[in-house]
Amino acid sequence: MSSKSTPADIPQPVNDIQGDDRWMSQHKRFVLSTKEGEPEVVFIGDSLIQQLSQTELWNRMFEPLHCINFGIGGDQTQHVLWRVQNGEMDCITPKVIVLLVGTNNYDHKAEEVVDGIVAIAKCITQKQPKAELIVMGLPPRGEKPNKLRDKIATINAKLAVDIEKVPGNVTFLPIDPSLFVNSEGFISHQDMYDYVHFTNKGYNKLFEQLLDLVQDLLHEFVKVENTSQDTDSIAGELATRIP
Amino acid sequence: MVLSQRQRDELNKAIADYLASNGYNSALTEFLKEASMPMEIDKKYTGILEKKWTSVIRLQKKVMDLEAKLSEAEKEFNTGGPTRDKRDPSEWIPRPPERYTLTGHRSPVTRVIFHPMFSVMVSSSEDATIRVWDYETGDYERTLKGHTDAVQDIAFDHTGKFLVSCSADMTIKLWDFQGFECVKTMYGHDHNVSSVTFMPSGDFIVSSSRDKTIKMWEVATGYCVKTFTGHREWVRMVRVNQDGSLLASCSNDQTLRVWVVATKECKAELREHEHVVECLAWAPESGFPAINEAAGIDNKKGGRSGPFLASGSRDKAIKMWDISTGLCLFTLMGHDNWVRGIVFHPGGKFIISASDDKTLRVWDIKNRRNQKTLEAHQHFVTSLDMHRNSPYVISGSVDQTVRVWECR
Repeated sequence: MSSKSTPADIPQPVNDIQGDDRWMSQHKRFVLSTKEGEPEVVFIGDSLIQQLSQTELWNRMFEPLHCINFGIGGDQTQHVLWRVQNGEMDCITPKVIVLLVGTNNYDHKAEEVVDGIVAIAKCITQKQPKAELIVMGLPPRGEKPNKLRDKIATINAKLAVDIEKVPGNVTFLPIDPSLFVNSEGFISHQDMYDYVHFTNKGYNKLFEQLLDLVQDLLHEFVKVENTSQDTDSIAGELATRIP
Repeated sequence: MVLSQRQRDELNKAIADYLASNGYNSALTEFLKEASMPMEIDKKYTGILEKKWTSVIRLQKKVMDLEAKLSEAEKEFNTGGPTRDKRDPSEWIPRPPERYTLTGHRSPVTRVIFHPMFSVMVSSSEDATIRVWDYETGDYERTLKGHTDAVQDIAFDHTGKFLVSCSADMTIKLWDFQGFECVKTMYGHDHNVSSVTFMPSGDFIVSSSRDKTIKMWEVATGYCVKTFTGHREWVRMVRVNQDGSLLASCSNDQTLRVWVVATKECKAELREHEHVVECLAWAPESGFPAINEAAGIDNKKGGRSGPFLASGSRDKAIKMWDISTGLCLFTLMGHDNWVRGIVFHPGGKFIISASDDKTLRVWDIKNRRNQKTLEAHQHFVTSLDMHRNSPYVISGSVDQTVRVWECR
């Protein structure tokens, strides 16, 4: 624990260990997109947010709501906090902001992670007082019951209490672990292909409730198109279309 | 299955090549023996079996795409009304499938317009370029480069000799559309320039900006000669009426304003939209009878003479305004997302609109009815234009394509 580099609630850019500067490139792109874009919903967080932008669910349900995605894989709370403080929330006036982060804070205790998320929430509500902020609880991870799942349960319980104390329009959206954990305590690779990141099917479950909430807050509902959806492979398309 | 001798020989050679290239050597030896083939296999059979294998799936997909297109065309033919020759030009409306999909822009397309004389159209994009296309042949003609940020709007003067463009780089550029060169760059706005248009005479240009102002520029000198202030936020679009006496603008402040060009006075402020007003269009005189009828006014007893203005908003509504009274006459609901573009049909009976619900919609003004919906693009439709006398509609989209639709 002595090697712990930064606290979870002190803003910190990611150290570019690999040397390709991708993290900073993404941050700069996000800041640039706030200069001209007029998003109504902003998603911010780690890979769980980032990979949502590659899903069918995103294309079909979130994109029509004029959403943008500020997720970066691997981000911990202190990194998201740095991004929020350095331009990603400055030039836009979204109606809803969705925050999901914390699962990557492997070096921090549960309380520290909660402090980190609360610090981000405070910063966002300060910069965007008119927006509704939705803070999502952390989904469980790992195929079998493990220490991280316990820590995540502790984080979620404390977050539900602490987030109430953040002034402004903040809603906590708990994630019911039983959506993903079966009666024997297992998580299926069909929901989380590597037992932390979500499949299309997993994303549908994870974000179903959130989608309802966002639409409620926007007073707006997406009409699902009846046009045929793109499928991932030709074989898949053939299978669905040939009787 | 019956194969000809030649086909059978070719299949055998392809199988032999497959066995050889995959190292199934004992099977190959046996096969060559049983099929009594020579040991040498011609090079031209390399990989042919695998290629045929995959091409079947590709072709099947192609067949399905074409069948889908055919059934759409058949439906259109059977139920979509008579052919063009049997129909009055004032009844021509765009019908699927699209005639061309033009690709080339590397970012969302922001505006599409027809040239007033030639069979070309022009598109602008967030990729900072302007592209010229032939809409009759579907050919790409050229690219105009010069802006350094998203191009937001483009317009021709009435002769089609000059094109004006405006950009997020805060400049307005005047292009000679014969030499395709930028002949003037106008500086003066303090933020993104969202919209630009020529006065009917062609002597002046009018622009609107995120800096909340509308400016008028003299073409000859490039100087800003007038500034119209009053909007409380980003002005999205500005358009001049037919005789050049009035300007109409719409804004993020959710209002439309009508300005007297001569005095810079704001003649009317129109409020009823519940979100950003994205686009507007002046009604041509040919549209007055239909608008009056839609508003429940008897044309015979002297209908209103407007002028009338149509607007489209992020609140999904299209509204028709009577400028003489400042009242909204009626509202057209049907789009499921932001309305981004609106044009009047030259015959005056229809309005055509573009929306983030990915559709183009044709509205029968008289009956205030959504007559036709075209699933136009794979992403938000940002803009559309209709030709004044040829049967074409064009649309631009965030999917980076421009589409040409034929009208019947």
